[in-house]
Amino acid sequence: MTRELRFENMIGKTVRNSYGRAIGRIEDARLQPDGDDYLVSHFLLGPVERILRVKAFLGELPTFRALGIGSDRELRPLPWEWFDLKDPDRPILVALEGSG
Amino acid sequence: MNLGQALLDQQVVDRSGELMGKVDGIVLELREGKPPRVARLVIGGGTAAHRLHPRFASWLLRWRRRWGPTNDRPLEVPWSKVRKIGIDVKVDVDAAQTPAFAWEHWVRDHIITRIPGG
Amino acid sequence: MSKLLEIALGLVTGIGGFLEAGSMATSAQAGAKFGFQLVWAIVLGTICIAFLVEMAGRLAAVSKHTLPDAMRERFGIRFFTVPLVAVVLVSFLVLASEIGGVSLALQFVSGVPFRWWAPAVAIAVWLLLWAHNFSVVEKGASILGLVTLVFVVAALKLHVSMTDIGSHALPSLPRHDAAQYWFMAVSIIGASVSPYLFYFYSAGAIEDHWDESYLGVNRVIAGLGMGFGGSVAVAVLAVAAIVFHARGIQIERYDQLPLMLADPLGRWGFILFVASLGIACFGAALEIALQIAYLVAQGFGWKWGENIKPRHAARFSLMYTVVIVLAGLLIFTGIDPLKLTIFSMALTALSLPVTVVPLLILMNDREYLGDNTNHWVANTAVLFVSVLACIVALVAIPLQILGS
Repeated sequence: MTRELRFENMIGKTVRNSYGRAIGRIEDARLQPDGDDYLVSHFLLGPVERILRVKAFLGELPTFRALGIGSDRELRPLPWEWFDLKDPDRPILVALEGSG
Repeated sequence: MNLGQALLDQQVVDRSGELMGKVDGIVLELREGKPPRVARLVIGGGTAAHRLHPRFASWLLRWRRRWGPTNDRPLEVPWSKVRKIGIDVKVDVDAAQTPAFAWEHWVRDHIITRIPGG
Repeated sequence: MSKLLEIALGLVTGIGGFLEAGSMATSAQAGAKFGFQLVWAIVLGTICIAFLVEMAGRLAAVSKHTLPDAMRERFGIRFFTVPLVAVVLVSFLVLASEIGGVSLALQFVSGVPFRWWAPAVAIAVWLLLWAHNFSVVEKGASILGLVTLVFVVAALKLHVSMTDIGSHALPSLPRHDAAQYWFMAVSIIGASVSPYLFYFYSAGAIEDHWDESYLGVNRVIAGLGMGFGGSVAVAVLAVAAIVFHARGIQIERYDQLPLMLADPLGRWGFILFVASLGIACFGAALEIALQIAYLVAQGFGWKWGENIKPRHAARFSLMYTVVIVLAGLLIFTGIDPLKLTIFSMALTALSLPVTVVPLLILMNDREYLGDNTNHWVANTAVLFVSVLACIVALVAIPLQILGS
């Protein structure tokens, strides 16, 4: 059984765990080649809070980082199987944080 | 390689090297118990507008349907036709035969050729 | 084309192409109103644009992307729309200013008011682009643009000394009319740091197939070209300072402007002033119209190019056609070209962070530049000038509008 979803609409969606707590925001996906195909191995999550996102954006400029205004853009890779994507607008993290 | 970084919003080039648009969307195939697979690239046809704002996109779509070419719709390129990913994304299609050039040809035939020297 | 020839051509373009409606109007007004005091604004603006042009060239040579192309890729469509809209709007106003400049030059020569010249000027600009041989046109316009060196000649004839200029090369506080002073300062910076310059330059570098071996050529053209070009703007300010400010003459009407050169150089001065204004603005109009079309076409992945037949790049050709028609219409309404020009320059300064920060982020991204990312000096200098210009503009523009 296969379903399809649009990756460009996933970017920016907040990922919550089964308790409803916001874990992160989908920013990108890591690919793994498999023969002629490319498969998603991980989804990369960034911070949820806007202020942290702004800091990460500003941090892309070394000048702001040196001034202490920006921070490093750290995206956490989480394995594809930890995600429940039945509702593409509301991705859920099914594995407990810290496990795996 | 990251999907958004390497594929999304990249320039697409057809088999003869023609610029044919940007990767506006990517279709992922979700399979039971298996990793999601990159199935198709989506180019044009209002896809980028939808990412900006869905309501703006449907408003725009009404105008496109009313005044534009009849074959104006997003072009979906199956992954099997993607030849190379680098500075741009090379696909094995002939852009002129696809909706990617629907507006290009429409503008050419309805406006450009009506102006002397066009 | 050999690298030496490229450098020569780049320098000629930089010198002959630096002056346009914005830099002429802002430098002249600044000189007339504040004497030599605002030389520092031209210096600061020139340093900033030299850095930015070099960056645009380096981005193209190393990443093989034009700036709009790279911006869309790196930031995605949602973020990209912000600088896209900002640069298109501001560039459009500057394009109208250039058409206004050419129309004014024709008014000086014929006596027929500038608004009646606007349609003819717009059609002429459009025709030269429609003829899809811009690389030839560009070389011609650059060489003809050297006529603007007449301002340097006039400055020398008026015995402008290096002390006059050097003593004001660093920022100073105004002694009178502070609001106007700062408004002029940001307008000068906006005139020097016009986005169209580095966007157009990046497209040119891609069309000329620059690669990493051109990094040195790029630095020479950007540094010397902009540097010498900025000197011509300083010459305009200096001439205005002596002809107007020193005599207490206020510039109230356009027809006073040719006095700048007519005074030191007589009848030839008048002719060369008109020629400078007309040629410089015409050349800039061609570039800006192309650049707006580049920005949209490269952002959306359409075909583009300065030498492509219109039927082979239909959307791109339609884009510059529409923009030229609208700009011509704006001038045809009879709007004051001088006021429009100076206001567009101030708006450019206001929008600088939006146009410059994405470029800076790209220039520090190893995915695009590899080992050729920015030096911290370039980052800091450009960021500092852009943010400062924006903040000062935020205050100065409303004050200017309220004051007038």
